[in-house]
Amino acid sequence: MAKFVFIVPPLTGHINPTLSMGAVLLERGHRVGWITLDESLAAKLPAGGELLHISYDENDQQKRESEQYLDIITKKIVYGIDSLKFLYEEVLIPLNRHSYDGIAYLLDQFEPDLVITDHQMFAGAIAATNKKLPYATSVTAPAAIKVMEELPKIHEWEMNQVIGLQREFGVEANTPIVCSELLTMVLTSQEFFGDMELTPNFRFTGPVINRPATKITFDWDKLQQSSKPKILVSIGTTFDHEHKKNFFTKVVEAFGDDELTVVVVSDPALFEQWPENFIVQRQVPQLDLLPHLDAVVCHGGHNTVCETLSNGLPLVVIPIAYDQSHVAGRVVRTGAGERLNFNRFKAHHLKEAVHQILNNPDYKTAAETIKRSFIEAGGTETAADMLEQVATKQSLEVLKN
Amino acid sequence: MDTVASTTKMNRDEIFDLMKQFITEVIGEEFVEEMDITPESSFTKDLEMDSIEIVSFSEKIKAHFGDQIDFTGWLSSMDLDQLINLNLGMIINYIYECQ
Repeated sequence: MAKFVFIVPPLTGHINPTLSMGAVLLERGHRVGWITLDESLAAKLPAGGELLHISYDENDQQKRESEQYLDIITKKIVYGIDSLKFLYEEVLIPLNRHSYDGIAYLLDQFEPDLVITDHQMFAGAIAATNKKLPYATSVTAPAAIKVMEELPKIHEWEMNQVIGLQREFGVEANTPIVCSELLTMVLTSQEFFGDMELTPNFRFTGPVINRPATKITFDWDKLQQSSKPKILVSIGTTFDHEHKKNFFTKVVEAFGDDELTVVVVSDPALFEQWPENFIVQRQVPQLDLLPHLDAVVCHGGHNTVCETLSNGLPLVVIPIAYDQSHVAGRVVRTGAGERLNFNRFKAHHLKEAVHQILNNPDYKTAAETIKRSFIEAGGTETAADMLEQVATKQSLEVLKN
Repeated sequence: MDTVASTTKMNRDEIFDLMKQFITEVIGEEFVEEMDITPESSFTKDLEMDSIEIVSFSEKIKAHFGDQIDFTGWLSSMDLDQLINLNLGMIINYIYECQ
């Protein structure tokens, strides 16, 4: 038995894959903890998982500060290249700076055999290094390690922010240490990631898909009664109300009364009335739903895109910010879908793009190809195997010394 | 030979028109019609182009001018703030000077 600890940011897309990997490690008899700022994660942990909550002997000021990081990313409308500046300067760097002491303390308490830190929890890699603990890295948003040949300074700028933070906490390296030399798991397939030389410490696990423990109710009758093509429209958890209102206004205009059944992930109260052919729920059982669908419209969050492609379904991707432009680019490049520009697209573009991916079988064929590459890469069990191997190897090293 | 070179050298207006054509190809005609594209238009804020769109725009410049100008080299030297502030006029100047 070994002790593993995941260090996760308060971002759903980054947490979900760790829940699956953790569940497998727990089933195999290991101890698994999660270090997080978000206390509510306790309810989502797999049975036996231990919540290691970052909390300070706090005055109210610090407590408020901790809480503000939980949803800071939803607080500002950002777009395109600009959004990267916001992400690093206003979200990731302050979040990591704030989390460092708590992480370092919890690592001392838990004494893990292996730390698994999210690639955006730089403080996790820094704390593990300072505590001389072995760590692996989980790259849940693989675009972050991709350097755009034409715009290399974007990645360089990002990494300089990380190096600056490392120095603050006494790690003098001139390169970012966030991607572990022992094992950096890239949660996709090489085929979907695209061409780029990576050193052997980078291993493709395929998507690590999380099946939530709680059942989400859904209007299955309405879905199954329909003989029309079915699509899902979702723009994820990260974007605020105004974005959603503009977006779904266009979705309603595009597909109201269309020969489609449209499942929408949204607060139903966003509009007083939705078209008859829409099923609108705040949450949907996405993984159970996907096998019944014909296509997906989304913002290009890595998890939703991978879950969709794992079902061999084509997509229309409408990236908003961060790495989504890149994810959308990969969907187009692999032939599995079309992309639209979030600010510019109009209802008729969305309608045309969806009918195009539904009617031209080439998109589905390309999606099936990616699906096969995901299956070959392995997924959750493979990721768990890799983590076990590194943990075993590390404990042998310790015994030898 | 000098005459050939001078007739192929484009003036700033011609470069501007060519750039506008490339932008149209990247983002679509109907959007360009709605926008007032000027040399002051910035790629990120005014044209709302994201990184992937900027790259496809640069590919068009590369395809058109070939080895005549090292546009990719110039673009790849830009840091984040320069990219955020990049406007059409800067590109027109660069191409003009390179000819």
